[in-house]
Amino acid sequence: MSKHRPTVTRQEKALAVASERAIRRVTTAGLLLAITLLLVFTTIGMFPVPTPAGHATIAHIPAIIGGILEGPLVGLLVGMGFGFASFARATIPMFKDPLVAIVPRLFIGVTASFAFFAVRRASKPVLAILLAVLLGFMLLFSWQMAGTILWLGITWGVLSVAGAAFLFWWMRREDVQVVALGIAAAVGSLTNTVLVLSAAVLRGYIPQEAAWGIGLTHGVPEVIASGIITVAVVTALRQIGSRWRRARL
Amino acid sequence: MAGYEGLRYASLGQYIPLDSPIHRADPRVKLVGAALLTIAVAIATTYSANLLLFVAIFALLKWARLRARDALLSVRPALAFILLLAAMQLLFYNGPEAQTKVLVAWGPLRISVASLRVVAVSLVRFVDLVFLTSLLLNTTTASALTYGLERLLAPLDALGLPGHELSMVGAIALRFIPILGEALETIVQAQASRGASLGGRSRWQFLQNARRMAALIVPLFVEAYRRAEEMTLAMQARCYRGGRGRTHLIRYRLNRGDYAALGASVLLFGGILVGQYIAHWP
Repeated sequence: MSKHRPTVTRQEKALAVASERAIRRVTTAGLLLAITLLLVFTTIGMFPVPTPAGHATIAHIPAIIGGILEGPLVGLLVGMGFGFASFARATIPMFKDPLVAIVPRLFIGVTASFAFFAVRRASKPVLAILLAVLLGFMLLFSWQMAGTILWLGITWGVLSVAGAAFLFWWMRREDVQVVALGIAAAVGSLTNTVLVLSAAVLRGYIPQEAAWGIGLTHGVPEVIASGIITVAVVTALRQIGSRWRRARL
Repeated sequence: MAGYEGLRYASLGQYIPLDSPIHRADPRVKLVGAALLTIAVAIATTYSANLLLFVAIFALLKWARLRARDALLSVRPALAFILLLAAMQLLFYNGPEAQTKVLVAWGPLRISVASLRVVAVSLVRFVDLVFLTSLLLNTTTASALTYGLERLLAPLDALGLPGHELSMVGAIALRFIPILGEALETIVQAQASRGASLGGRSRWQFLQNARRMAALIVPLFVEAYRRAEEMTLAMQARCYRGGRGRTHLIRYRLNRGDYAALGASVLLFGGILVGQYIAHWP
């Protein structure tokens, strides 16, 4: 006599996996959104930087992480939540404009997700070429800047060479996946900075020169912070790159 | 440890339990009305349109028995920054018509009719939006908001888009804010008890600041991810299959007042559009 064992067809199994993935997307998006709101509505999401406004944000990081972990749709959702929260919370007129506060934020998780999935299987030489291209752009930018303000251009050039050297060293040391995380975080963070400031300039809230200033003084620390935090969080969650991992916390 | 507590009380434009027609209105109507008025405020660039909107929104605020002072309280810390930005806008405005009708010019600085209008409009717009936000969030409970959102997004389900899932995400987020706030509080205290210095940071050491922040944020994410995994399992065990066939305990029904409110906001929105783009009010 055969055992009464419920037979699970392949189709049913596929359905169960699909629904699990769908549910995981919903719950992960919900919890990342909760973290976003927590970061926006308390002061934890701010860290002090040496600028007039005094603060840069890390509240866009859940959107980046959502994009990396669960794909562009979750990134979009969490980014939208971030947009609405910063709109509701805004204490300066610039962010009380939905076109500045909400629309640009939709793209944070999406670009981060695409960047991550584009480079996560790349080889180290490809990454090195990418870094070289980036360095080229930075040097071109500093050359142009040196045309108007000499010392600023030279400083910028030296800084970008130093930054590229550090990144090259870091890249040699770490897993490709970890490097991909860093790239995705930087792309997501830059998406936020560039799109928000462009929207603010287009809507006439700040002059273009001020936007460049804010972009450098806020954008750069935000890129660094989101790189550090995204890499730390996702490596902790996914247990990747554990070869080098010691208890850092 | 005073600074480490109270995170769980993070205010999110909290619901204020009062009794007013606006509190009793259907959440769907409030959401649509708030969205329409927000768009109207965002596109209004003339004096007359902004005045009209301000009067309408202020009247609604009074009708909901909310106090304007409470709504503006959250803005106070940023007041100096707002004024600085307004002054910069006034002096350096460089959009179209900035060169014509200059009132005062002094070197690169100039105040023109256009820059005056931009400053006035963005200040009024700001106040309008502060009022609108508190009008929506102070009169509607979180569950009513979620319900309204889900019903409004229901047409998306028919198109095969995840309308129900969207509102589910919102509901989960709202439910988990206090829980994660508590978790964060525990993490802060745990790291502090291990000797992590969390307060009094110099703003020049942002690399160290980011590291320190990671010490708080990483455990928070790990905790959230663990909870998400647990909830995925729990929902799967309960055969959660999205919104199909789900019913609600409380069903809202649109009454005559709701339709009137909806009509009034559409009318106001249309009036602003017509006034600004067709009739060219000042």
